[in-house]
Amino acid sequence: MNSPVDHQKTATEPRGNTPVLEVRNGSKIYGGVHAIENVSFDLYPGEVHALVGENGAGKSTLCKAIAGAIQLSAGDILIDGKPVKFSRPGDALAAGVSMVYQETSLVPTMTVAQNLELGNEPLLTRFRSLNIQAQQLLQSLNFHVEPTAYVASLGAARRQMVEIARAVKHQARVIIFDEPTATLTPEEIMHFFHLVEDLRARGVAIIYISHALEEALKISDRITVLRDGRHVITAPTRELTRADIVRHMVGREVIQERPQRLPAASALREKVLTVENVTMGTAVKNMSFTLYAGEVVGMAGLIGSGRTEIARVVAGALKRNLINGGKIYLRGKPIRYRTPRQAINDGIVYITEDRKVDGFFETMAIDDNIYIGRLATKQGWTFALNAGDRNRIASELIRRLRIAALDSRAKIIELSGGNQQKVVVAKALAQEPQVVIFDEPTRGVDVGAIPEIHAAIRKQAEEGKAVLVISSYLPEILSVSDRILVTRMGRIAAEIDAAEADEQKIMYAAIH
Amino acid sequence: MIRPARGGVKGGVKGGVKAAQRVGPSWRWVHIAGSPGRSNSPARVETDNGAGMTQADITVGRRQSAAAGRRKFQSQEMAIFAIAAALAVLFAFMLPGFATINNMLTLARSVSVLGVLSLAMALVVIGRGLDLSLIASMAAGAATVMALQGAGYAFPLAILAGLAVAMAIGLVNGWIIAFIEVPALFTTLAMSLLVFGVARFAFKSVLVYPPADAHAFLFLGQGKLFGVPMPIIVFAVLAVAMHLFLSRTTPGRFTYARGDNPEAARLTGVDVRRDIIISYMLAAGLSLLAGLVSASATASMNLQIITGTMIFDVVLVVVLGGVSLVGGRGSVLSVLAGALLIGVLLNGLTIMNVNNQMQDIVRGLVLLGAIILDNRLHPRDEETARQGD
Repeated sequence: MNSPVDHQKTATEPRGNTPVLEVRNGSKIYGGVHAIENVSFDLYPGEVHALVGENGAGKSTLCKAIAGAIQLSAGDILIDGKPVKFSRPGDALAAGVSMVYQETSLVPTMTVAQNLELGNEPLLTRFRSLNIQAQQLLQSLNFHVEPTAYVASLGAARRQMVEIARAVKHQARVIIFDEPTATLTPEEIMHFFHLVEDLRARGVAIIYISHALEEALKISDRITVLRDGRHVITAPTRELTRADIVRHMVGREVIQERPQRLPAASALREKVLTVENVTMGTAVKNMSFTLYAGEVVGMAGLIGSGRTEIARVVAGALKRNLINGGKIYLRGKPIRYRTPRQAINDGIVYITEDRKVDGFFETMAIDDNIYIGRLATKQGWTFALNAGDRNRIASELIRRLRIAALDSRAKIIELSGGNQQKVVVAKALAQEPQVVIFDEPTRGVDVGAIPEIHAAIRKQAEEGKAVLVISSYLPEILSVSDRILVTRMGRIAAEIDAAEADEQKIMYAAIH
Repeated sequence: MIRPARGGVKGGVKGGVKAAQRVGPSWRWVHIAGSPGRSNSPARVETDNGAGMTQADITVGRRQSAAAGRRKFQSQEMAIFAIAAALAVLFAFMLPGFATINNMLTLARSVSVLGVLSLAMALVVIGRGLDLSLIASMAAGAATVMALQGAGYAFPLAILAGLAVAMAIGLVNGWIIAFIEVPALFTTLAMSLLVFGVARFAFKSVLVYPPADAHAFLFLGQGKLFGVPMPIIVFAVLAVAMHLFLSRTTPGRFTYARGDNPEAARLTGVDVRRDIIISYMLAAGLSLLAGLVSASATASMNLQIITGTMIFDVVLVVVLGGVSLVGGRGSVLSVLAGALLIGVLLNGLTIMNVNNQMQDIVRGLVLLGAIILDNRLHPRDEETARQGD
């Protein structure tokens, strides 16, 4: 692997010899886990520096630290060679560092001109001069945005223009773009690229975070790859190919036990759930796949690629399921659920990706959390609660899933993340499903519990259920799946047999 | 592989412990009382076992704990019981005529209508709702019953019609809250005004009277059974029924689940929307019973109570006892504790000849205090304040 210093004296260093921004050995620890560890990064005036990596590789963390939104746990940030300490975004802004966030930070109920002025308003504002100044600024950037228009009335692209104009207004010398093209149409993306060229010509240094490798290759001067919070490589863009980048992104040592596939199970091939050409808004486009009994299907793909949406629509868990087209069949019978209750009664359960938000009942005991799963089914409902049933159902699942609880009457919030997740799984299994959908089954789960949850997932398939596992964590997908579906921009981009799959193949299919 | 998102567990667990600790200092004795059944949290019990605990505290706690059996210990209601008891002891020494059986019956009787309304409110609030139109459904329902009796209809028929009126109000409330997802606060506030207007229009006058020969009706508020005034019996029976409903039945458990986390309840397969509607209808039905008792006791129903301050008393009783406005917390014991404290307080103030304005000030202060306490114990954010599935 390239040494981390060899890029510094390369010829592509665009202008000037002092980096406008430098991060030295930056680390950020969240709750004992390194989000980034010992990352060094530099940026020269008039340079576009792309930052790539998988979800959770630490790109956003690094940039937030640079923009003053969070503080590094260790390491230094230097501006023009001088160490600085940003304790809030305002400090970074004053030093000329501006970040354009994924989620727009504009106030929708204010006009464009007011938003440009936000945070710098004089005590008394003269709206006329405000609007004229804004007009001049927007024109100088060649943006066709009306200063008096309300931000709420603007589309994603124009909002981004306002954000950029604000950065320019603050005389930003460093602008960080976090996934700038994620919400843009192709034409808007072209326009955005022109703009980036413009800013570069003005000598502004740009950090460009993107999942879309083609974009990074097209627009950047240099590329830095982060993986698992660590710096992998920084190199001039022209020395890298797409394949190189993918290799660096997923280049971790993969230790995994491949599932022992039961030939009998795969030979049966009983179709349980069929999704046929389902389209839903912009999230899901013409998606088709089939789940078979006794099989674990892994679903990989970037966040926002339609994975969770399709799972939730199958399980009736979306609040507004606007299926625009296509059909879903359960054992040959067309289904379309408006509530999770209907899906559960037909044996389809969805285990949420964020248990704290909508997974468990924090005021209730462990066994009550499990028992309520059974109570919510048609066959398990009884008017009077039955402590005997509760104890029997809960203790059996606690044993099967190896939930580490001294007392099943203890509150669920007293458990570790892994055990909480197991309780959520137990609640779903208490409903005796035929189709189980796990969404990010090991997110926020302690390392020790992960293999146990994986074993539980495999067990479901061995018992003849159809299992779908959605995960951003590729080793997880590889170790539990019999078959892997890769989603990309609302479509199934690839279907790979687990025996032939590896992380590079999946990543390649997942990013365009 | 390091994934920051997967490191979030610690924060969550810590948050939970922190919340528990926050309760610690103020209700220290409560944990001791709850400790025998809670082998899983020895650390917390040990810290609470320190100095600063009087023998009386421990005794009170133990007695309550025995009554609560193996149920989870709920701190706030026990604290309120203790405060009410302390206040009662104080009044018993200070005020002649406070600690007499007659006064105790007066006290219980004075809070029984409020108590029934509070049971209704608790049912809704535990499910993360709020019903400010309870007084409206109570007054409109009771007025309907009396008006129909006056028109010569049989008592049972009149009651059915009153129930229909009250539950229709609950149905519309519930439907708007569950399906249109309008916050309960606004829905029921508007409904209250609407009912007031319609009722004044329908009954012509703000005062509605029962016919003088409506003996069965008048017995509800004025009669006695085994020497106990009927309002107290009605409250007691309904309290027991509500307690059994909330703690022993699946719909009761679903009410807590919905209040705790409506989205989790929905994903688990609870029909949250249907249940919301049913809970508002049940609450309105209970409010009708409160209205019957009240109208019978005074042999009249003044529709102007709809726009009065009574709903504040209901909220006060419920929140005071620990039925948190965030939902999923509290029980019938909370209602009893809240009603008891308010009863003792107002009874004592009345004996002391404190005027109404002063009593309002005291109630206002206690309500503010209770809501601040609720907010400290169960902090919430804007997102969870909205009801709906």
